[in-house]
Amino acid sequence: MITLFMVFISTLILVLLLTQLLIKAGGRLNLTGVDIHKPNKPSIPKTGGPALVIGVVTGLIIYLLVEGFSTELVALIYSSLIAALIGLVEDIRGEINPKVKPLLLVIAGIPILALSVYTPRPVLPFIGATRLTKIYPFLILVSYPVVCNAVNSIDVLNGSISFTSIAFFTAILVVSAIHGLEYPLIVSAIMLAALAGFAIYNKYPSRVFAGNSGSLFIGSVMVSTAIIGRVEVVAIVALLPHIMNEMHVIFSMRGLRSAKQYNSRPITIENGLISANPDEKAPITLVRILSAKIKTREDSLVKSMFVLSLYSMMLAILTNILFMR
Amino acid sequence: MSLLRNTLIVLILLTIAWAGFLSITFILAYTLFPAIEYTDGSLTLGLLRVAVGIIVITLWIYGWYTLTKIWLRKMLSE
Repeated sequence: MITLFMVFISTLILVLLLTQLLIKAGGRLNLTGVDIHKPNKPSIPKTGGPALVIGVVTGLIIYLLVEGFSTELVALIYSSLIAALIGLVEDIRGEINPKVKPLLLVIAGIPILALSVYTPRPVLPFIGATRLTKIYPFLILVSYPVVCNAVNSIDVLNGSISFTSIAFFTAILVVSAIHGLEYPLIVSAIMLAALAGFAIYNKYPSRVFAGNSGSLFIGSVMVSTAIIGRVEVVAIVALLPHIMNEMHVIFSMRGLRSAKQYNSRPITIENGLISANPDEKAPITLVRILSAKIKTREDSLVKSMFVLSLYSMMLAILTNILFMR
Repeated sequence: MSLLRNTLIVLILLTIAWAGFLSITFILAYTLFPAIEYTDGSLTLGLLRVAVGIIVITLWIYGWYTLTKIWLRKMLSE
Protein backbone atom coordinates (compact mmCIF):
# COMPACT_ATOMS: atom_id res chain seq x y z
CA MET A 1 0.00 0.00 0.00
CA ILE A 2 2.87 2.38 0.88
CA THR A 3 4.62 1.45 -2.40
CA LEU A 4 1.42 2.15 -4.33
CA PHE A 5 1.04 5.56 -2.65
CA MET A 6 4.71 6.43 -3.34
CA VAL A 7 4.39 5.39 -7.00
CA PHE A 8 1.16 7.40 -7.33
CA ILE A 9 2.78 10.57 -5.99
CA SER A 10 5.99 10.17 -8.01
CA THR A 11 4.03 9.54 -11.26
CA LEU A 12 1.86 12.61 -10.61
CA ILE A 13 4.88 14.87 -9.95
CA LEU A 14 6.80 13.46 -12.92
CA VAL A 15 3.90 14.01 -15.35
CA LEU A 16 3.36 17.56 -14.04
CA LEU A 17 7.03 18.43 -14.60
CA LEU A 18 7.38 16.60 -17.92
CA THR A 19 4.22 18.10 -19.41
CA GLN A 20 5.54 21.63 -18.71
CA LEU A 21 8.87 20.75 -20.35
CA LEU A 22 7.24 19.07 -23.34
CA ILE A 23 4.86 22.00 -23.92
CA LYS A 24 7.97 24.17 -24.47
CA ALA A 25 9.68 21.47 -26.55
CA GLY A 26 6.56 20.97 -28.70
CA GLY A 27 6.47 24.68 -29.53
CA ARG A 28 10.17 24.78 -30.41
CA LEU A 29 10.03 21.60 -32.54
CA ASN A 30 6.82 22.75 -34.22
CA LEU A 31 5.00 19.61 -33.07
CA THR A 32 1.69 21.41 -32.81
CA GLY A 33 -1.93 20.93 -33.78
CA VAL A 34 -4.56 23.58 -34.55
CA ASP A 35 -7.28 24.01 -31.92
CA ILE A 36 -10.07 24.29 -34.49
CA HIS A 37 -12.83 24.99 -31.99
CA LYS A 38 -11.37 28.35 -30.89
CA PRO A 39 -12.20 31.53 -32.85
CA ASN A 40 -8.47 32.48 -33.26
CA LYS A 41 -7.43 28.87 -34.09
CA PRO A 42 -4.28 28.73 -31.92
CA SER A 43 -1.49 26.17 -32.44
CA ILE A 44 -1.18 23.91 -29.40
CA PRO A 45 1.76 21.54 -28.73
CA LYS A 46 0.68 17.93 -29.21
CA THR A 47 3.48 16.56 -27.04
CA GLY A 48 1.43 15.52 -24.02
CA GLY A 49 1.63 11.86 -25.07
CA PRO A 50 5.37 11.42 -24.36
CA ALA A 51 4.85 12.99 -20.90
CA LEU A 52 2.16 10.40 -20.13
CA VAL A 53 4.25 7.55 -21.54
CA ILE A 54 7.42 8.46 -19.60
CA GLY A 55 5.46 9.14 -16.40
CA VAL A 56 3.48 5.88 -16.48
CA VAL A 57 6.38 3.64 -17.57
CA THR A 58 8.63 5.18 -14.89
CA GLY A 59 5.91 4.59 -12.29
CA LEU A 60 5.60 0.95 -13.35
CA ILE A 61 9.40 0.44 -13.34
CA ILE A 62 9.65 1.92 -9.82
CA TYR A 63 6.93 -0.52 -8.72
CA LEU A 64 8.79 -3.44 -10.33
CA LEU A 65 12.06 -2.43 -8.66
CA VAL A 66 10.45 -2.24 -5.23
CA GLU A 67 8.05 -5.20 -5.42
CA GLY A 68 9.95 -7.55 -7.72
CA PHE A 69 9.78 -8.64 -11.37
CA SER A 70 6.40 -9.26 -13.00
CA THR A 71 6.00 -10.66 -16.52
CA GLU A 72 2.47 -9.22 -16.67
CA LEU A 73 3.62 -5.63 -16.10
CA VAL A 74 6.58 -6.04 -18.49
CA ALA A 75 4.19 -7.25 -21.23
CA LEU A 76 1.92 -4.28 -20.53
CA ILE A 77 4.88 -1.86 -20.80
CA TYR A 78 6.01 -3.38 -24.14
CA SER A 79 2.55 -3.35 -25.72
CA SER A 80 1.88 0.24 -24.58
CA LEU A 81 5.25 1.41 -25.91
CA ILE A 82 4.51 -0.16 -29.32
CA ALA A 83 1.15 1.67 -29.50
CA ALA A 84 2.75 4.94 -28.33
CA LEU A 85 5.49 4.60 -30.95
CA ILE A 86 2.91 4.15 -33.75
CA GLY A 87 1.15 7.29 -32.46
CA LEU A 88 4.42 9.21 -32.28
CA VAL A 89 5.22 8.36 -35.91
CA GLU A 90 1.77 9.66 -36.82
CA ASP A 91 2.31 12.85 -34.78
CA ILE A 92 5.63 13.54 -36.52
CA ARG A 93 5.04 12.32 -40.08
CA GLY A 94 1.29 12.88 -40.46
CA GLU A 95 -1.78 10.67 -40.60
CA ILE A 96 -1.25 6.96 -41.31
CA ASN A 97 -3.66 5.39 -43.85
CA PRO A 98 -6.82 4.54 -41.80
CA LYS A 99 -6.84 1.02 -43.27
CA VAL A 100 -3.14 0.39 -42.43
CA LYS A 101 -3.24 1.84 -38.91
CA PRO A 102 -5.42 -0.94 -37.39
CA LEU A 103 -3.04 -3.55 -38.84
CA LEU A 104 -0.08 -1.78 -37.22
CA LEU A 105 -1.88 -1.59 -33.89
CA VAL A 106 -2.35 -5.37 -33.92
CA ILE A 107 1.41 -5.54 -33.18
CA ALA A 108 0.70 -4.00 -29.75
CA GLY A 109 -1.05 -7.23 -28.75
CA ILE A 110 1.94 -9.44 -29.55
CA PRO A 111 3.83 -8.95 -26.21
CA ILE A 112 0.69 -10.11 -24.34
CA LEU A 113 0.54 -13.27 -26.48
CA ALA A 114 4.31 -13.86 -26.62
CA LEU A 115 4.75 -13.57 -22.85
CA SER A 116 1.54 -15.56 -22.31
CA VAL A 117 0.07 -13.23 -19.68
CA TYR A 118 -3.57 -13.88 -20.56
CA THR A 119 -6.19 -16.38 -19.39
CA PRO A 120 -8.43 -17.58 -22.25
CA ARG A 121 -11.40 -17.90 -19.90
CA PRO A 122 -13.01 -14.44 -19.71
CA VAL A 123 -15.52 -13.96 -16.91
CA LEU A 124 -18.93 -13.02 -18.32
CA PRO A 125 -22.07 -11.81 -16.49
CA PHE A 126 -24.39 -14.68 -15.36
CA ILE A 127 -22.13 -17.27 -17.04
CA GLY A 128 -18.89 -16.90 -15.07
CA ALA A 129 -15.62 -18.06 -16.61
CA THR A 130 -16.14 -19.41 -20.11
CA ARG A 131 -13.83 -21.35 -22.43
CA LEU A 132 -12.51 -19.34 -25.38
CA THR A 133 -9.19 -21.16 -25.81
CA LYS A 134 -8.90 -20.89 -29.60
CA ILE A 135 -10.51 -17.54 -30.29
CA TYR A 136 -9.19 -15.54 -27.31
CA PRO A 137 -5.69 -14.85 -28.75
CA PHE A 138 -7.37 -13.56 -31.92
CA LEU A 139 -9.68 -11.34 -29.84
CA ILE A 140 -6.63 -9.93 -28.03
CA LEU A 141 -5.05 -8.86 -31.32
CA VAL A 142 -8.31 -7.31 -32.58
CA SER A 143 -9.02 -5.45 -29.33
CA TYR A 144 -5.90 -3.23 -29.57
CA PRO A 145 -6.83 -1.40 -32.81
CA VAL A 146 -10.50 -1.22 -31.73
CA VAL A 147 -9.88 0.36 -28.32
CA CYS A 148 -6.89 2.50 -29.38
CA ASN A 149 -8.96 4.00 -32.22
CA ALA A 150 -11.93 4.47 -29.89
CA VAL A 151 -9.80 6.50 -27.46
CA ASN A 152 -8.23 8.38 -30.39
CA SER A 153 -11.72 9.24 -31.74
CA ILE A 154 -12.91 10.65 -28.40
CA ASP A 155 -9.91 13.04 -28.23
CA VAL A 156 -11.66 15.83 -30.17
CA LEU A 157 -12.29 18.47 -27.50
CA ASN A 158 -10.07 20.12 -24.88
CA GLY A 159 -9.75 17.69 -21.96
CA SER A 160 -12.13 15.04 -23.37
CA ILE A 161 -9.47 12.31 -23.44
CA SER A 162 -8.25 13.06 -19.89
CA PHE A 163 -11.63 13.10 -18.19
CA THR A 164 -13.19 10.13 -20.03
CA SER A 165 -10.05 8.05 -19.32
CA ILE A 166 -10.07 9.07 -15.64
CA ALA A 167 -13.62 7.63 -15.37
CA PHE A 168 -12.49 4.38 -17.06
CA PHE A 169 -9.50 3.81 -14.76
CA THR A 170 -11.58 4.71 -11.69
CA ALA A 171 -13.95 1.84 -12.59
CA ILE A 172 -11.00 -0.56 -12.91
CA LEU A 173 -9.50 0.74 -9.63
CA VAL A 174 -12.75 0.25 -7.68
CA VAL A 175 -13.37 -3.27 -9.05
CA SER A 176 -9.73 -4.26 -8.43
CA ALA A 177 -9.91 -2.94 -4.87
CA ILE A 178 -13.14 -4.90 -4.23
CA HIS A 179 -11.69 -8.18 -5.52
CA GLY A 180 -8.05 -7.63 -4.48
CA LEU A 181 -6.68 -7.76 -8.03
CA GLU A 182 -3.04 -6.65 -7.84
CA TYR A 183 -2.07 -5.73 -11.41
CA PRO A 184 -5.15 -3.78 -12.52
CA LEU A 185 -5.05 -1.94 -9.17
CA ILE A 186 -1.45 -0.81 -9.69
CA VAL A 187 -1.89 0.12 -13.34
CA SER A 188 -5.13 2.03 -12.79
CA ALA A 189 -3.64 3.94 -9.81
CA ILE A 190 -0.59 4.92 -11.89
CA MET A 191 -2.77 5.88 -14.87
CA LEU A 192 -5.03 7.99 -12.62
CA ALA A 193 -1.99 9.83 -11.25
CA ALA A 194 -0.65 10.48 -14.76
CA LEU A 195 -4.04 11.54 -16.17
CA ALA A 196 -4.73 13.84 -13.18
CA GLY A 197 -1.41 15.62 -13.77
CA PHE A 198 -1.97 15.77 -17.52
CA ALA A 199 -5.58 17.00 -17.19
CA ILE A 200 -4.39 20.22 -15.54
CA TYR A 201 -2.75 21.24 -18.83
CA ASN A 202 -5.16 19.44 -21.17
CA LYS A 203 -8.43 20.82 -19.73
CA TYR A 204 -10.23 23.74 -21.43
CA PRO A 205 -8.53 25.90 -22.68
CA SER A 206 -5.86 23.30 -23.51
CA ARG A 207 -2.19 24.17 -23.23
CA VAL A 208 -1.23 20.75 -24.58
CA PHE A 209 -2.82 17.92 -26.59
CA ALA A 210 -2.22 14.21 -25.96
CA GLY A 211 -1.52 13.65 -29.65
CA ASN A 212 -1.83 10.24 -31.26
CA SER A 213 1.05 8.97 -29.10
CA GLY A 214 -0.97 9.78 -25.97
CA SER A 215 -4.34 8.46 -27.16
CA LEU A 216 -2.96 5.18 -28.56
CA PHE A 217 -0.88 4.70 -25.40
CA ILE A 218 -3.93 5.18 -23.16
CA GLY A 219 -6.00 2.80 -25.34
CA SER A 220 -3.28 0.17 -25.22
CA VAL A 221 -2.97 0.38 -21.42
CA MET A 222 -6.76 0.00 -21.14
CA VAL A 223 -6.75 -3.23 -23.21
CA SER A 224 -3.68 -4.74 -21.50
CA THR A 225 -5.11 -3.97 -18.03
CA ALA A 226 -8.45 -5.59 -18.93
CA ILE A 227 -6.76 -8.73 -20.31
CA ILE A 228 -4.12 -9.19 -17.59
CA GLY A 229 -6.59 -8.39 -14.79
CA ARG A 230 -9.41 -10.48 -16.34
CA VAL A 231 -11.78 -7.51 -16.08
CA GLU A 232 -12.83 -7.52 -19.75
CA VAL A 233 -16.55 -6.98 -19.12
CA VAL A 234 -15.94 -4.11 -16.67
CA ALA A 235 -13.73 -2.52 -19.34
CA ILE A 236 -16.36 -2.95 -22.09
CA VAL A 237 -19.11 -1.35 -19.99
CA ALA A 238 -16.83 1.48 -18.78
CA LEU A 239 -15.95 2.15 -22.43
CA LEU A 240 -19.57 2.39 -23.65
CA PRO A 241 -19.31 6.12 -24.61
CA HIS A 242 -16.07 5.36 -26.53
CA ILE A 243 -17.66 2.34 -28.26
CA MET A 244 -20.75 4.39 -29.06
CA ASN A 245 -18.65 7.15 -30.62
CA GLU A 246 -16.36 4.86 -32.65
CA MET A 247 -19.01 2.43 -33.91
CA HIS A 248 -21.38 5.25 -34.89
CA VAL A 249 -18.55 6.95 -36.82
CA ILE A 250 -17.65 3.70 -38.64
CA PHE A 251 -21.29 2.83 -39.47
CA SER A 252 -22.23 6.35 -40.56
CA MET A 253 -19.07 6.75 -42.69
CA ARG A 254 -19.59 3.23 -44.07
CA GLY A 255 -16.21 1.82 -43.09
CA LEU A 256 -12.77 2.89 -41.95
CA ARG A 257 -12.14 6.27 -43.55
CA SER A 258 -10.25 9.35 -42.54
CA ALA A 259 -12.50 12.21 -41.42
CA LYS A 260 -10.41 14.46 -43.67
CA GLN A 261 -11.54 12.45 -46.73
CA TYR A 262 -15.17 13.03 -45.79
CA ASN A 263 -16.90 16.11 -47.20
CA SER A 264 -19.48 16.65 -44.50
CA ARG A 265 -18.20 17.50 -41.00
CA PRO A 266 -20.15 16.28 -37.92
CA ILE A 267 -20.33 19.74 -36.36
CA THR A 268 -20.27 23.41 -37.29
CA ILE A 269 -18.45 26.12 -35.33
CA GLU A 270 -19.60 29.73 -35.10
CA ASN A 271 -17.87 32.26 -32.81
CA GLY A 272 -16.49 29.41 -30.69
CA LEU A 273 -19.93 27.81 -30.27
CA ILE A 274 -20.39 24.21 -31.44
CA SER A 275 -23.54 22.93 -33.14
CA ALA A 276 -24.48 19.63 -34.82
CA ASN A 277 -24.33 19.63 -38.62
CA PRO A 278 -27.94 19.10 -39.80
CA ASP A 279 -26.69 17.39 -43.01
CA GLU A 280 -28.02 13.78 -42.99
CA LYS A 281 -24.77 12.55 -44.55
CA ALA A 282 -22.59 13.98 -41.75
CA PRO A 283 -20.88 11.34 -39.59
CA ILE A 284 -22.64 10.51 -36.31
CA THR A 285 -20.33 11.28 -33.40
CA LEU A 286 -20.92 11.72 -29.68
CA VAL A 287 -20.24 15.47 -29.97
CA ARG A 288 -22.76 15.77 -32.84
CA ILE A 289 -25.43 13.96 -30.80
CA LEU A 290 -24.77 16.14 -27.74
CA SER A 291 -24.89 19.36 -29.75
CA ALA A 292 -28.03 18.49 -31.75
CA LYS A 293 -30.22 21.58 -32.27
CA ILE A 294 -28.21 23.71 -29.85
CA LYS A 295 -25.18 26.01 -29.88
CA THR A 296 -22.91 25.24 -26.98
CA ARG A 297 -19.46 25.94 -25.57
CA GLU A 298 -16.65 23.39 -25.89
CA ASP A 299 -16.09 23.11 -22.12
CA SER A 300 -19.81 22.41 -21.55
CA LEU A 301 -19.64 19.54 -24.05
CA VAL A 302 -16.58 18.12 -22.26
CA LYS A 303 -18.49 18.25 -18.95
CA SER A 304 -21.32 16.28 -20.60
CA MET A 305 -18.86 13.70 -21.95
CA PHE A 306 -17.39 13.38 -18.44
CA VAL A 307 -20.89 12.83 -17.00
CA LEU A 308 -21.51 10.08 -19.59
CA SER A 309 -18.19 8.42 -18.71
CA LEU A 310 -18.91 8.63 -14.98
CA TYR A 311 -22.31 7.02 -15.63
CA SER A 312 -20.65 4.19 -17.60
CA MET A 313 -18.12 3.84 -14.77
CA MET A 314 -21.02 3.36 -12.35
CA LEU A 315 -22.70 0.83 -14.70
CA ALA A 316 -19.40 -1.07 -14.97
CA ILE A 317 -19.03 -1.29 -11.19
CA LEU A 318 -22.70 -2.30 -10.81
CA THR A 319 -22.31 -4.99 -13.50
CA ASN A 320 -19.35 -6.42 -11.62
CA ILE A 321 -21.02 -6.37 -8.21
CA LEU A 322 -24.49 -7.57 -9.24
CA PHE A 323 -24.04 -9.85 -12.25
CA MET A 324 -20.55 -11.39 -12.15
CA ARG A 325 -20.01 -14.78 -10.57
CA MET B 1 -33.75 22.12 -26.29
CA SER B 2 -30.64 22.13 -24.16
CA LEU B 3 -27.36 20.36 -23.60
CA LEU B 4 -28.83 18.85 -20.43
CA ARG B 5 -31.67 17.27 -22.42
CA ASN B 6 -29.28 15.90 -25.05
CA THR B 7 -27.03 14.50 -22.31
CA LEU B 8 -30.02 12.83 -20.64
CA ILE B 9 -31.04 11.25 -23.96
CA VAL B 10 -27.50 9.84 -24.45
CA LEU B 11 -27.65 8.52 -20.88
CA ILE B 12 -30.88 6.72 -21.83
CA LEU B 13 -29.22 5.33 -24.99
CA LEU B 14 -26.28 4.10 -22.88
CA THR B 15 -28.68 2.48 -20.41
CA ILE B 16 -30.53 0.72 -23.25
CA ALA B 17 -27.19 -0.51 -24.66
CA TRP B 18 -26.11 -1.75 -21.21
CA ALA B 19 -29.46 -3.46 -20.57
CA GLY B 20 -29.29 -5.02 -24.05
CA PHE B 21 -25.79 -6.33 -23.36
CA LEU B 22 -26.90 -7.87 -20.06
CA SER B 23 -30.08 -9.34 -21.58
CA ILE B 24 -28.13 -11.02 -24.38
CA THR B 25 -25.61 -12.45 -21.89
CA PHE B 26 -28.47 -13.65 -19.68
CA ILE B 27 -30.19 -15.46 -22.56
CA LEU B 28 -26.91 -17.02 -23.72
CA ALA B 29 -26.04 -18.00 -20.14
CA TYR B 30 -29.14 -20.15 -19.85
CA THR B 31 -29.37 -21.47 -23.41
CA LEU B 32 -26.32 -21.81 -25.63
CA PHE B 33 -23.41 -21.70 -23.17
CA PRO B 34 -24.48 -24.57 -20.84
CA ALA B 35 -25.17 -26.76 -23.89
CA ILE B 36 -21.65 -26.18 -25.18
CA GLU B 37 -19.76 -25.99 -21.87
CA TYR B 38 -20.74 -29.53 -20.85
CA THR B 39 -19.95 -31.20 -24.14
CA ASP B 40 -16.48 -32.22 -25.32
CA GLY B 41 -14.63 -29.27 -26.86
CA SER B 42 -15.01 -30.09 -30.56
CA LEU B 43 -13.95 -27.55 -33.18
CA THR B 44 -17.48 -27.29 -34.65
CA LEU B 45 -19.00 -26.38 -31.31
CA GLY B 46 -16.19 -23.90 -30.64
CA LEU B 47 -16.77 -22.24 -34.00
CA LEU B 48 -20.53 -22.24 -33.42
CA ARG B 49 -20.06 -20.36 -30.16
CA VAL B 50 -17.74 -17.83 -31.81
CA ALA B 51 -20.17 -17.32 -34.73
CA VAL B 52 -23.11 -16.80 -32.37
CA GLY B 53 -21.03 -14.38 -30.28
CA ILE B 54 -20.02 -12.31 -33.31
CA ILE B 55 -23.60 -12.22 -34.69
CA VAL B 56 -25.02 -11.20 -31.30
CA ILE B 57 -22.42 -8.42 -30.76
CA THR B 58 -22.94 -7.10 -34.31
CA LEU B 59 -26.71 -7.06 -33.82
CA TRP B 60 -26.29 -5.33 -30.45
CA ILE B 61 -24.11 -2.56 -31.88
CA TYR B 62 -26.19 -2.19 -35.06
CA GLY B 63 -29.42 -1.96 -33.05
CA TRP B 64 -27.83 0.68 -30.82
CA TYR B 65 -26.62 2.62 -33.88
CA THR B 66 -30.05 2.46 -35.57
CA LEU B 67 -31.74 3.75 -32.42
CA THR B 68 -29.29 6.67 -32.19
CA LYS B 69 -29.66 7.47 -35.91
CA ILE B 70 -33.47 7.55 -35.69
CA TRP B 71 -33.35 9.79 -32.62
CA LEU B 72 -30.76 12.15 -34.13
CA ARG B 73 -32.71 12.52 -37.40
CA LYS B 74 -35.91 13.23 -35.45
CA MET B 75 -34.11 15.84 -33.34
CA LEU B 76 -32.47 17.59 -36.27
CA SER B 77 -35.66 17.71 -38.34
CA GLU B 78 -37.77 19.26 -35.54
